[in-house]
Amino acid sequence: MAPAPPLPTMRHSSAFLNPSSPAPPDDACATLALVVLNQRLPRFAPLLWSRAAVRVCADGGANRVFDGMPELLPGQDPGEVRARCVTSKPVTDDAYKPDVIKGDMDSIRPEVKEYYSNLGTKIVDESHDQDTTDLHKCVAFITQNPPVPDKSNQLCILVLGALGGRFDHEMGNINVLHLFPNIKIVLLSDDCLIFLLPRTHRHEIHIERSIEGPHCGLIPIGMPSTSTTTTGLRWNLYNASMSYGGLISTSNVLEEDKVTVTSDSDLIWTASLRD
Amino acid sequence: MPASAMPLPTMTHSSAFLLPASSSSAPRADDAAASTTYALVVLNQRLPRFAPLLWAQARLRLCADGGANRVFDGMPELLPAEDPDEVRARYKPDVIKGDMDSIRPEVKEYYSNLGANIVDESHDQDTTDLHKCISYITRNLPGTENSNLCILVVGALGGRFDHEMGNINVLYRFSNIRIVLLSDDCSIILLPKTHTHEIHIERSVEGPHCGLIPIGAPSTSTTTTGLRWNLANTSMSYGGLVSTSNIVEEDIVTVTSDSDLIWTISLRH
Repeated sequence: MAPAPPLPTMRHSSAFLNPSSPAPPDDACATLALVVLNQRLPRFAPLLWSRAAVRVCADGGANRVFDGMPELLPGQDPGEVRARCVTSKPVTDDAYKPDVIKGDMDSIRPEVKEYYSNLGTKIVDESHDQDTTDLHKCVAFITQNPPVPDKSNQLCILVLGALGGRFDHEMGNINVLHLFPNIKIVLLSDDCLIFLLPRTHRHEIHIERSIEGPHCGLIPIGMPSTSTTTTGLRWNLYNASMSYGGLISTSNVLEEDKVTVTSDSDLIWTASLRD
Repeated sequence: MPASAMPLPTMTHSSAFLLPASSSSAPRADDAAASTTYALVVLNQRLPRFAPLLWAQARLRLCADGGANRVFDGMPELLPAEDPDEVRARYKPDVIKGDMDSIRPEVKEYYSNLGANIVDESHDQDTTDLHKCISYITRNLPGTENSNLCILVVGALGGRFDHEMGNINVLYRFSNIRIVLLSDDCSIILLPKTHTHEIHIERSVEGPHCGLIPIGAPSTSTTTTGLRWNLANTSMSYGGLVSTSNIVEEDIVTVTSDSDLIWTISLRH
């Protein structure tokens, strides 16, 4: 029997989190979109905001930007932080006004909605659509309105506020990664980041050692894996089976600057973030 | 047409442990809940606001490593009207177990002097702290059968994602033991496929939001009652439908599935 053709390689990099990396950081994520969900902003929110070509708040995420950006930039006048206006250029350093606010509109405070609406933020009321989560709606919006159309294959959607909080929300957000396996979506918190490793590819994960680690994991969240092989970890897998009820790789440790993963199953990759 | 299968045995679930302590000695409607023995495990995250309530009901209280810091710091914060030293002395863990790489030395010494059993497991890197604690409880709660035991866990959700997923895997690995993971926002339990489940909802403290999550494997057929959007022989999977932001409509929710599911319900503030 002829051997199966090798899987194509998908490269991953978290250079967008490294303040010392030039922007745009890397081919793998040449264009960044930022989605803010309704949880406290992580400490690196201003950095990602400044690097994103488009910023979308899901409903109460707008409250978090309104309250949270001034808190994360304490040396600056809050009113000024909130109101910095975007010029015609799509990417600027200092505008903390969302481009779009989307969702049910049942969490956003009325004064916050009015404030951003007056500044020109597009408000898209989706309260009629109860079948998809807020994150799903935001990802769909971004893919239908790519910020840099000719670079849409290098689009990377960064999401804040998707982890922690209500567990059903978190699991629904992780399902969005599985529903859009062709789009690079990274869920970020103060403690860690996660993204999907589709089984259709061999994965090369480039580690920003100053930002990420030392802990990491590989999680067969949707179905068991019969065979996963890795390099670059302290406890590598060699055609190992992983499943809930059996082995899943948690509290693993990054040993090299590049981690490779090949699996017969979709896996969630997670890496801790340094304080 | 295949012969109909034997009906699955029923497993009931109750969150009565979340109800405020009552001075009334009125008999409980649910006898099973009345005879439940609780154990509490505290992992290394900020205590939820109801931690003192759970502590009061537990016959055995374990801290996993840095969970001891959280009890030391957190219990006085949750009981600000009381003297901190008295609170600390009263909320003394029975056991502190784990790697001991997070517990502060002064915290370890304080509880050791009060008689807490310190079990250093730094040699065992193969199982998570929660796994070690569950194993300890099953071996050390004498006269307790698994069906009467309920292990309450705080600090297992949120924080590092690999920790959270490893903690959920502990539910699957000890699927014959009731284990509840709790946070300020929600609770989660495993619903093993071997049973039909009756979940008794404490409407004063739980809900309205709930979900059924096919973690680990897809479900070909799940059926529910008592939810706003019930499932009727419905398939669920990552990449397909996952039941989230559902709503509890009745005091009893039933779930039958061909796959192990995680049930989650929000907690009221």
